[in-house]
Amino acid sequence: MKDLRKIGMAVCLIGLLALLPFAIRSEYLINLLLMFFLYFTIAQSWNLLGGFTGQVSLGHSAFFGMGDLITRLLWIGKVPILLASFAGGVSSMLLAGIVGIPFLRMKRAYFPIGTLALAVIAQITIGNILPLPTYLPGEYMREYRLFSRYYLALSVAIVTLLVVWRTVSSRTGLALIAIRNDEAAAEAMGIKTYKYKVKALLISGFLTGLGGSVFAYHQVSYYHEASFNLSWSFLPTLATFIGGLGTIIGPILGSACFLALNELFAITLGQIHLVIFGFSFVLIVLFLPGGLMSLSKQIKFALKTRLLKGP
Amino acid sequence: MGQTLVYGILNGTVYAMIALGIALVFGIMKYLNLAYGSLIIIGAYGSLFLFRMGVDPFASIPVILVTLFLGGAILYKLFFSRLIEFPEGEKIKNSLLIGFGLMNVFDNLAFIIWTGNERSLTPSYSGVTFEILGLRVPLIGLIGGLLAFFLISILHLLLSRTYFGTSVMAVSQDHEAAGLMGVNVNRTYLISFAISVGLASIPSVLIGLQSFSATSGMQWFNKGIVVVMLSGMGNIYAVFPAGLFLGIIEALSIFLFGATYREVTGLVVFVLVLILFPRGLLGKRVES
Repeated sequence: MKDLRKIGMAVCLIGLLALLPFAIRSEYLINLLLMFFLYFTIAQSWNLLGGFTGQVSLGHSAFFGMGDLITRLLWIGKVPILLASFAGGVSSMLLAGIVGIPFLRMKRAYFPIGTLALAVIAQITIGNILPLPTYLPGEYMREYRLFSRYYLALSVAIVTLLVVWRTVSSRTGLALIAIRNDEAAAEAMGIKTYKYKVKALLISGFLTGLGGSVFAYHQVSYYHEASFNLSWSFLPTLATFIGGLGTIIGPILGSACFLALNELFAITLGQIHLVIFGFSFVLIVLFLPGGLMSLSKQIKFALKTRLLKGP
Repeated sequence: MGQTLVYGILNGTVYAMIALGIALVFGIMKYLNLAYGSLIIIGAYGSLFLFRMGVDPFASIPVILVTLFLGGAILYKLFFSRLIEFPEGEKIKNSLLIGFGLMNVFDNLAFIIWTGNERSLTPSYSGVTFEILGLRVPLIGLIGGLLAFFLISILHLLLSRTYFGTSVMAVSQDHEAAGLMGVNVNRTYLISFAISVGLASIPSVLIGLQSFSATSGMQWFNKGIVVVMLSGMGNIYAVFPAGLFLGIIEALSIFLFGATYREVTGLVVFVLVLILFPRGLLGKRVES
């Protein structure tokens, strides 16, 4: 019953978001929402791997860039955008599989570092191979509508939410959380940890690739290198940590916060806002590892103990 | 071909020196300092500043070393010291995340202060080369190689002949037991971390003599960490052969496929080595 109400609320919210572009005329706001969906997509897919499974990936910029690159090339080559977007997702899943799987097999820090190496190398290599910026051809420019970009971003975000939610609330989700909490114990309980880690990696790679396809469809011109920039690894990590690691709500909260802070500081402070982001990330990891989600719990707990103790 | 190998070996020594600082901290306290590349770049800007005041790049190493040493001590006190009590896996993960945040801080600060332009140190002898057996060897690379040799000897003496070295060995084996035996764990960690950051001064001058920009720290860290993993994580004496290996592989790939795919070749070799030798090329066999 409670689930039904939740689902009803979610459907209403999605309907509202889908109708929103008709209600608001401001391109700025629609753009902002679009960016929110994009950030949410990559944060949530990072969260599936980093938050629920405990495998911190620093290589999501490579997956994001791969999805973007393939989608962009196919789309400009006259492939319908939905198909191109799917292909982008699949290609970054393949990249995640080919490079990530050997690292997952190993213990210690091989996975984060291996994925980081992948991200750095992908960025440099793409900068070498495709040094020129990509432009939309004239006919594409004439039929450019923000609406269609908005709907792609919205649907990708919904797909991500559904996939991650379904995965986490299934048997697989339990296995992933068991792996995060204690891999050796999970293995001893008969969970095929390697299989589940690979599964989480592939899903996460696919969804991040879809996020990349939104970028490819939305941006008018950019350097190919831009979507491989390491900041696309930092963003989902930061957003998930702000909101709360290993929760479905966390990345939603986190990307909203990230976007709000970005809008507030990017214009007024310029580059310094990135310094502030980096610094606040360090502070969150050290002092609030559960993110905002745990903050409310902590405050409640503090209030309760205060009340019990009395004045 | 021979000339390619010479450049590969000289680049390899720089990689090995970056890897040395990372492996030292990883081997002793299971921290991965992701901001190491950015610290190297900050050191390079420091030596550029001194160079413009008329100080020779190699003469500026001691000044930068001391500055980075103190900076490392402060970084440890502020951030990394809070992770001591974590279990090993969590330690690696959290230190890595903190390093990731710090890297963003340093890179962007460097960008604000010094802009994104490519810089380089250009002393009068920067183009000088030698002829050895018909091969051209740049003077700077040769000095770099000698410095690397000098560095590892000093570090070896420090770790094997002093009380500090003994306590480092004890702490790296089991920091709780070492603490119970009366070793000052926190101070040993502090000094090792600061030494690791201080060691960044030598690669920072050598990289400064090539070329660098505010955001190239990650690139160099990447070389270092690949070498660390090839050498078997935290085995500090194996970083030199592993560094030379990476340098030579890259040089060969430039010779065969051109410079565009140099990084990809590095990655492919790296993944292959990890699949075939999961403990690294020179990793010690651990009996289970």
